[in-house]
Amino acid sequence: MSDVLPVDPTALREEVKTKYRAVAVNPHGGYHFHTGRPLAHRLGYADDVVARTPDRAIEAFAGVGNPFSLGALRPGERVVDLGSGGGFDCLVAAGQVGPNGRVVGVDMTEEMLSRSRAAAVALGLRQAEFRHGVIEDLPIEAGWADVVISNGVINLCADKRQVFAEIMRVLKPGGRLQFADIANGKEVPAGALRNIDLWTD
Amino acid sequence: MLEQSGFVDIEIGPPVDTFGGAGGESKARLFEVYGYAFLAHKSK
Repeated sequence: MSDVLPVDPTALREEVKTKYRAVAVNPHGGYHFHTGRPLAHRLGYADDVVARTPDRAIEAFAGVGNPFSLGALRPGERVVDLGSGGGFDCLVAAGQVGPNGRVVGVDMTEEMLSRSRAAAVALGLRQAEFRHGVIEDLPIEAGWADVVISNGVINLCADKRQVFAEIMRVLKPGGRLQFADIANGKEVPAGALRNIDLWTD
Repeated sequence: MLEQSGFVDIEIGPPVDTFGGAGGESKARLFEVYGYAFLAHKSK
């Protein structure tokens, strides 16, 4: 694995912020990915969970898979969601860990944080909170989490080695990483990897 | 990369056609891009 990053991490971060700020403000804007309730159905989230989630809490959902498909969270667990976006996965997690658990969503986009905080309040999920930050430098103390979840976010980070090091830092010994992300079956040409626009379009 | 980062007992779920019918479908097909669920553990 090369230590040379294909793109500038700061520039990519700004590009990602711009894209997901737009999704937060206008979730039905027509993007290269699906969004919202139809996407949650497509990715196999439980019908009852999708049905009972208010529009405001799900319409900016932009995941790429279902991080709960390989196992549900357990009551009382402490969970960190990397790139929590509109908060849908955090709300699902909060339902699974229950009132004695804790869920902390971390996102770098203020517009997404506003959405997710409002949704948690509206649903009375006091075990969910949302913090501003980047996933390469998590605002979480070492060894705090039983589980780290994420959905379609790690692929948007240039320095994945640093992301996984941060996940290791915040997980307890024996803790789990449950995430969904995209992977390609055919190799992407080096020139395309260096094109920031292709990371987010 | 998960193994290189020290994770163990790694499991990968089946592919999901994340971009089917979306604007990014043609590019996704070009590079066979699908969504996957991953489960990995930090050693005890």
